[in-house]
Amino acid sequence: MNSTSSTLLPQARRRKRNPWPAVLGGALLAAILGFIVFGNLSKSLEYFVTPTEYKAQSSEYVGRTIRLGGLVKSAHYDRESLKLSFTVTDYGASYPVSYQGAVSDLFKENQGVVVRGAFTPAGVFQANELLVKHSEEYRVPTSQADIKSMLKDTK
Amino acid sequence: MLNLLSFQASALGTVGELALLAALLFTLAGLWLAVVGGVKNDPRATEGARRSVWAVFGFVTLSLVILEVALLRDDFSVRYVAEHSMRVSPTWVKVTTLWAALEGSILLWAWMLSLYAFVLSLTLRRDALRPWALGAMFVSMLFFIGVVASIASPFTPLAQIPSDGAGPNPALQNHWMMAVHPVLLYFGFVGLSVPFAYAVAALITGRLSEHWLLVTRRWTLLAWAFLTAAIVAGGWWSYETLGWGGYWAWDPVENASFIPWLLTTAFLHSLQIQERRRQLKAWNIWLIVLSYSSTVLGTFLNRSGIVQSVHAFSNGPVGAVFLGFLAFLLIAGIALAAWRSPYLRDEGTPAAPLSRESAYLAGNWLFLVFSAMVLLGTLFPVLVEAATGKKTSVGAPFFDAFAIPLGLGLLFLMGVGPLLPWRRATGERLMGALKIPGGAGLLALVVGFAAGLRSVGVLLTLALAAYNVAGLVVLTLRATKERGSFLALYREQPRRQGAHLAHLGLVVLALGVAFSTAYKSSAEITLNKGQPVTIAGKTAVLEGLERRTYPYGTSAVATVTLGGQTYMPRSNLYVNGGNTLYPTPSVRYGLFGDSYLVTTNLDPAGGWASVRLISSPLVSWIWVGMLIIVAGASLTLATPKLAVRQAVGAGAVAAD
Repeated sequence: MNSTSSTLLPQARRRKRNPWPAVLGGALLAAILGFIVFGNLSKSLEYFVTPTEYKAQSSEYVGRTIRLGGLVKSAHYDRESLKLSFTVTDYGASYPVSYQGAVSDLFKENQGVVVRGAFTPAGVFQANELLVKHSEEYRVPTSQADIKSMLKDTK
Repeated sequence: MLNLLSFQASALGTVGELALLAALLFTLAGLWLAVVGGVKNDPRATEGARRSVWAVFGFVTLSLVILEVALLRDDFSVRYVAEHSMRVSPTWVKVTTLWAALEGSILLWAWMLSLYAFVLSLTLRRDALRPWALGAMFVSMLFFIGVVASIASPFTPLAQIPSDGAGPNPALQNHWMMAVHPVLLYFGFVGLSVPFAYAVAALITGRLSEHWLLVTRRWTLLAWAFLTAAIVAGGWWSYETLGWGGYWAWDPVENASFIPWLLTTAFLHSLQIQERRRQLKAWNIWLIVLSYSSTVLGTFLNRSGIVQSVHAFSNGPVGAVFLGFLAFLLIAGIALAAWRSPYLRDEGTPAAPLSRESAYLAGNWLFLVFSAMVLLGTLFPVLVEAATGKKTSVGAPFFDAFAIPLGLGLLFLMGVGPLLPWRRATGERLMGALKIPGGAGLLALVVGFAAGLRSVGVLLTLALAAYNVAGLVVLTLRATKERGSFLALYREQPRRQGAHLAHLGLVVLALGVAFSTAYKSSAEITLNKGQPVTIAGKTAVLEGLERRTYPYGTSAVATVTLGGQTYMPRSNLYVNGGNTLYPTPSVRYGLFGDSYLVTTNLDPAGGWASVRLISSPLVSWIWVGMLIIVAGASLTLATPKLAVRQAVGAGAVAAD
């Protein structure tokens, strides 16, 4: 017996298996995952917001963690108690911000800042993180478009 | 491109670029030879392809050495050196600047790829897979060497040669981990290209031999060990430099290194099912295609600028090209797998639901789901921005919501797997085998609860850790008794004992992660010089604030006595870093917890300093656990000692 060419065997018949366990298991897994994703994802999404945008849609953002960007005005910092309070503005709207923690010397009047935290129903932004690090090429934002791009570029 | 090569403008740059172009030429030649050798079954063409690998390796090494020499000699006529290096940096920073920015890092990747191809060409067996495996490596090399030779070349000359360069990113000058983490990570990522090449070869030839299983497993294990070490080393680097006492932020680029790790771990386990039962052949091929593609996805995310991350390199045209290569890999891999996987037939019947195979398969599914969720969380901001135009970022709560249950599930499967027999387990025997580990788990749960732990995640991790350890101890003791000594057991079963050690390391790491995340505490205070203050139950005094000047920057070193121990946290300023302070926290490592002090603000005159004190329990267990995992992985690479055969002397009769 001589086969000159290497022929591959024909496809073997597959034994029929009950598809229901796999289908049900997959559906269960998908349901659990869907619950986790859609339950948690929208809550965990942090939007990047300017004060004017917040003013336009306050009810949507109150209580949710967001990133707020703008210019610093009237900053008060108590070094001993590590309490910082300032106003953030984007030439359109202004909101008071309060933060507890050490603040670097870069934090001055008229600097751009991005803070991460949430608005209280009273309208004060409770910040839990100050996000801006400046390089020597940093330029003070002078318009809403600048503030938007500062928000966008924050890492 | 020829007007970019000019000896007058930059001698080193031109030689470097020529070396890259020569490497590209040999890559193309080698790819053609490999395909010809594979299609026509011509061993001479295959041998030519094999030698082309050596030529490519030689030329890429040459260009790497040239770039390194240019960095060390401050040759600012080379663009990369002018943009990323400066005269005043210490030597180790100049060496690591090679991979501190985009072009150099792609050159490093290409070099590692050629190194792996070189080693492969020396160890590759002469079989039908050989030309195709070399060909697949050539395809990978064609992409990376092509990119670094053309659009991301570090050697393009400059119109005007500056007297000093811009220097590397200060965050990359701050810690010696810069010399370790990226190298380990690239060895891990690039290492996956070899199993991928073998898989492509197996698909094209339709053959999966015993040898294929052996070499794929060993190469994957090597890449996996590097990847594990690299990810944890990166976490340690964050811990030591970022000042928030954390080590993992579900940052998009961290996730991009985690996804390949998850897929490769799944692959390592499902390979064993193929070894024992000759099943899941197509599954394994798909998995390795996905793993390798996910490494390219990672490098694409890092360089394209589509996700905001502290790790991201600057964006440019490079991103689009990486996306193209990723698409090519996925499409080609999936097409090949779909076309040929009917020829990779599974033998035998699927195992019972309660068996070691099923435990491995369940684990595989958990790893896949985990990867898919991490990928979703990483890419979601991109999808949201494409759909609504709003910029978002996905916070840690989303990742924790599935990472914790999936992690606990994996810990459970890891414990029950070694106790299950292959093929089928009877309920009674399983219950008997689970008695001691289950009991240990419950005991740990009770003890933990009694000790005051209330976090569900921590309690469950503790229980599962005890259950894992008890199971491993029982298995090992029983097996050691049968063989007399542990060394004899290891010599006979290096893979199993090494795997047990790696699992033990993972248990240690899991405990470290659970406790340090749940029970980390931090306090912030401003210290005035000489005045003792109570913080977190201990007395802290700022003894002094000293300023040290280096050629590349200044450091403000605060000496703080806390609870009787001295800490010296530093605040560093770099000459090319503007006014941004880069902290070096002072960490006291302990077996049961770390004390971590970082300066957040200080008085230039030296009168006061604001500090943050962070206490994290069991954080060191993460780094130690990683070392145990890597040790276990290395132990599995030993060859088992088979039963000694008596040498037959001349004149012995065959039948006795």
